[in-house]
Parts: sequence; structure tokens; C-alpha cells
Amino acid sequence: MSERYSFSLTTFSPSGKLVQIEYALAAVAAGSPSIGIKVANGAVLATEKKYKSQLYDENSTHKVARITDKIGMVYSGMGPDYRVLLRKARKLAQEYQMKYQDSIPTSQLVEKVASVMQEYTQSGGVRPFGVSLLMAGTGDEGPYLYQCDPSGAFFAWKATALGKNHVNGKTFLEKRYNEEMELEDAIHTAILTLKESFDGQMTEDNIEIGVVNSSGFNRLSPSEVKDYLATI
Amino acid sequence: MTGKNCVAIAADRRFGIQAQTIGHEFQRIYGMSDHLYIGFSGLATDVTTVSNKLKFRLNMYMLRENREMKPETFMSLVSSLLYEKRFGPYFVEPVIAGLDKNAKPFVGSLDLIGCPMITEDFVVSGTASEQLYGMCESLWEPDLEADDLFESISQALLNAVDRDCVSGWGGIVYVIEKDKVTEKILKARMD
Amino acid sequence: MAASSLAKSYRNRSAIDFIKTTSKRKEDEMIEDELRTHLSKELSFQVPPMDPQVFLKSINERENGVKIQFLHGTTTLAFKFKNGVIVAADSRASMGSYIGSQTVKKVIEINPYLLGTMAGGAADCSFWERVLAERCRVYELRNKERISVAAASKLLANMVYYYKGMGLSMGTMICGWDKRGPGLYYVDSDGTRMTNYMFSVGSGSTYAYGILDSGFKHDLEDEEAYDLARRAIFHATHRDAYSGGSVNLYHVKETGWVKISRDDVGPLYYQYKDAQ
Repeated sequence: MSERYSFSLTTFSPSGKLVQIEYALAAVAAGSPSIGIKVANGAVLATEKKYKSQLYDENSTHKVARITDKIGMVYSGMGPDYRVLLRKARKLAQEYQMKYQDSIPTSQLVEKVASVMQEYTQSGGVRPFGVSLLMAGTGDEGPYLYQCDPSGAFFAWKATALGKNHVNGKTFLEKRYNEEMELEDAIHTAILTLKESFDGQMTEDNIEIGVVNSSGFNRLSPSEVKDYLATI
Repeated sequence: MTGKNCVAIAADRRFGIQAQTIGHEFQRIYGMSDHLYIGFSGLATDVTTVSNKLKFRLNMYMLRENREMKPETFMSLVSSLLYEKRFGPYFVEPVIAGLDKNAKPFVGSLDLIGCPMITEDFVVSGTASEQLYGMCESLWEPDLEADDLFESISQALLNAVDRDCVSGWGGIVYVIEKDKVTEKILKARMD
Repeated sequence: MAASSLAKSYRNRSAIDFIKTTSKRKEDEMIEDELRTHLSKELSFQVPPMDPQVFLKSINERENGVKIQFLHGTTTLAFKFKNGVIVAADSRASMGSYIGSQTVKKVIEINPYLLGTMAGGAADCSFWERVLAERCRVYELRNKERISVAAASKLLANMVYYYKGMGLSMGTMICGWDKRGPGLYYVDSDGTRMTNYMFSVGSGSTYAYGILDSGFKHDLEDEEAYDLARRAIFHATHRDAYSGGSVNLYHVKETGWVKISRDDVGPLYYQYKDAQ
């Protein structure tokens, strides 16, 4: 029966679900894990970046990306879909900058990106994005961490995990998170959360970390990541 | 005109078609939000249209982002609105006066296609702009208190429009402070 | 005497050249005679070495061109009533939209019996009415009696007609009192000359006419007439951007003209408003 409703993504199933979106979420849950943690003086994004072959050049592509000086994001799910969203997010941010000569607040960018994702659940000839996003940014209002789902839903988090093993990741974070955490603690916690479900040796080449502090968003270089890994 | 933790904006009240004076209660200054005011010189119909469009865009911004708009941001908004009509412009030259959330004064003006200009002291616009520059140049000084600022801007306006045929017929002044805005109608020559 | 045609002539022109037509009237003959004997040497103008009309166009229409014309906006009025002629004018001089002065005397005192008003070019009006004053005085000395308003106005009309097309700009009312009683003539630089009981000249004239027409009667008392004229000018200054300053008011009586008042329009508005 469910096949009857699964082809058109704009058709509800009798139980009130849009199954294509559910499948998109399944694609996210099957994707490699990513972690986000927000603390008083910043936020951190971390993700696993494992390649199927050791012949890949690890630094040719990145999962953690900058959208504006102050906002960055990471994803769990399908890489190519993420690139489309990243391009759109950057363009939306620049349009805002052009109109107001002011940098876009994180909340505004999240809302705009979420609208794009929602549109892909209701338009003809398209499918929902197979990714969930974690967007971290800073501005006048302080640091923020948001999650954006294929349905267009978005939430602000103190800390969260996406992708494979996200349930365990969240449980781990619930135990480790507290309001007094500093940014350095958050980076450590993020790495530890990834480590919980990590198969094999964790190196500076198979994880990526993005940090938001008062100066804005930056992706850590492999050598910086290496330093953090050494302290664990 | 900027003052110490305050800012003032003033305009004449004439509404006329070339030489003919039609009315002398025309509002060319609009309060956009609590601490943000904009005045227009130019074609009356465009003054109303542009002010309405700006009010709309500003309200949408405030609803969407759930915050006040900074004066600088508002100026960019005006600039984009005007430049949208680059090849068939609105015939207005806006002047913006506002306070930011730290009560720092802001004044700026734009030309009819949206080229912005921000200054530390004063901006002027309209048919009597040359006269206004002369008056402001001699009456303005840094860090005027609200009362003195009112006096300076009023005298500048009144004496400038008295040397312009097509301005005058009364004046209106807004002095914007952190916790209050004072509106005063100026009595003027009616010729 | 026979001047070559306007466009070709490059030499100085004498003012006497303007008498082109032979009039049969005795008065006109006397005028001609006077001009010939007294003024041929003194009155002459440098004419630009080209067609004056083209020259004028070139200096007036050049980009950022020098505006040699000002006083283009004005309101002046005059009307006859049972006790003489009332003459009134505003006092604003504008150059474009810039106000050059608010205290111009637009009612020109030609002599104790004659008044002229000023609209158009200030220089043209004041110069030609000064010439007219001189002519009238000469007439008086030669004929042992004052010139009539009709004759005086015709002198002026003839003078400016000679320069027709060369850029003179004036619209004036010649007002006075002579043997025939109160006299009022309108003369302009096109060469128009006419008489009537009421005139208003200038950019604000339509507004002044509005007030005059609604309040005019021949048997107005003096004070009523003054108030009417003052209100008419005031109203014009209010509505017309190019009129303003103060209202200068004159009354021409049998004994000559009297200056009645000068009222700044600034307070006048609130005075009228309070009286309502």
C-alpha cells in the first residue's frame, strides 16, 4: 500500500505522512555522523570524513564549509545535495549583504535555507534534499547552533548529533554538556562524541572541525586538528 | 543635524506646483520607527509612494528578524529601493536621521537613485539646499544638547527657506532623543 | 536718421532713431521735437556686433548661463476709484528660485504726480522710467504745464517699442492725475499700451485679480480701497512663490501721490488670520 503514495512526494499517505521525506531522513540517518555544540563564547561543528579508498586525496573536498565570515555549516547525508544547498546559502547571504550592507544573522540565514528545503518538498519534478544541516554562526545576538532537516524544519540546539549513531551521540552529549563549558571543552567533547562511534583510528585527515568564536567562523587546518587529537 | 545623544530633522511644509502654492500643511517627514526618521524633498506623489514602500519593507524586516533596524541598515534599504528604479527614478532626495541603540546619532542623505552619503554633522536636500548648507555651516557645532540643537536646526531651516521662493510656508522639526521625540511646528513667513 | 536695418547695423544706435512714424497729433509732434533737440547725444547704446536677438539668446540660454533677467516674479496692481488711483506692489526680487531681495521698491516715483510700477526686468523698468521722468520734466519746462498721463505713457510705449525684439522686458502701469482726472495706463515691452480702471501685472496677478474683483467698487472709501489693494497683494504673495516681501501702497490724488504704507507680509498673514 505504501508504494501507492511513495512516488509523488506531494501526496500524503493515509496516515498523514509524506514518505519521501521520511526516506530523505533515512538517508541522513545513514550518512556519516556530524556533531554540533554551542557554548557561551562560541560553537563547534565536527564531522567524520571517511573515504572508501586510501587513494583519495583527503584535502580535495571539505564537508565543513564557510557561508559568511560569521557562519559555517556541516551536513550528514548526501554530499552532492549539500553542495547545492551550500551554493544557495552563500548566495542568499550575499543578497542580504547587498541589500542591507550588513551581515545576515544566523537565524535569518537558517530560515532562508530552510525555506529552500521546504520548497523541494512541495514542487514538481524535484525530490527533497538528502541532507540535514548543522549551521553555526555568531553575530550581535551571540553564538547559535541550528539544525535544518529535509522537510524544512529547523531547530536551535545547545548540542546535537546527526547521521549514523546520532542517538548514541545525543545521549553522550546529554551527559557531557553543561552551561559553563568553554569553547575548548566543546571542541574536545565534539571529538569525543565522534570517537564513540568511530571505526578505526581517528586522524586529522578523517575528521573535520569548524569553530565559531568572536572573530567568526573558521575550519581548523589538519595540523590544528592533529594538536587537538593529541590531547585526547 | 547631529547633537549629543540626540539628532534632529526638519523640513518646510509647502506643497506647491511650480510657482503656485497649493497647501501649507504637507508632511514630508515620516517616523519609520521610534528612533528613525526620514524626510524627502522632491515630487509629492513620489514622497508618499517611497515612504509607504519603505515603511512596508522596514516593517517586514522588523517582523522577520524580530529586532529594530539600525540607521545604517535602513539607509542601505533606501538605497536599494531607489536603485531598483535606476532608469526611471523616484524624484526624491531623502534625508535620514536616527539614533542607534547606544543613542549615537546618525544622519545621512541619498540622491534620487540611491547614492548614500553619511556625515558627522548635518545633511541637507531640496531647492534651498545651498542656503541650508550656508546656515548649517555657521550654526552647527559638535555635541549640541537637544534644546540647542532644536534652536540651531530651526534657525537654519527658517532662514534658508526665506531665501528660496519655492520653500517655506511653515516648518516642522523633530528632535529625537533616547527616550523621547519632540515634534514642533515652526511659525514662518507665509510668502 | 535713416538707420540701416536692425540685423545689419553694427554702429551705435541713437535713441532718437526710434521715432519712425509721423504722427498727426500735435502732442506727438512736440514729443518728437523734444527728443531730437535734447537727447540725441546723451542716449545711445552699444549694440553687440551681431543680431541682438541671437546674442541675447546665447547669453540667456547658455549652460549655467548668466541670468541677466530677474524680477520675473512679481505682483503689482493699480485701480482707479472715486478718490483717485491706488497703486500697490510686492517687493521680492528673484533670480531663478533664489530670493535676491525682499525690499525692492517696485513702485517707481517718476515725479510728484506720476507713478510707474515695475514687473519684468528690474533694470529695464527703472532705466526707462527714469528716462521717462526726464522727458516729462523737459515737457513741463517747455510747455509750462504738466504732461498728461496719456502722453507720458505713450512716450514710454514708443521708447520701448523701438527696441522691440531686442530683449527688453517690462510690464508697467503708469498712474497719475491730470486735467482729465485720474489716469491709469498699462505699457509693456511688446509695445502694448492701454487704459482701464484696473490692472494687475506679474506672475501673481491672477491671484490679485481674484481679490480685487471680489471687493472692488468705484465708490470705495479711501481706507477700504487701501485694505483691498493690500489684501490683493498679500494674497498674491501667499499663493505665488515668486512674489513676497512687503506690500508698498500708494494713493494718487489730485494733489499728487502719497505713500500710504509699507507692510511686511510676514506678520500680515497672522494679522489677517487672527482677524478671521
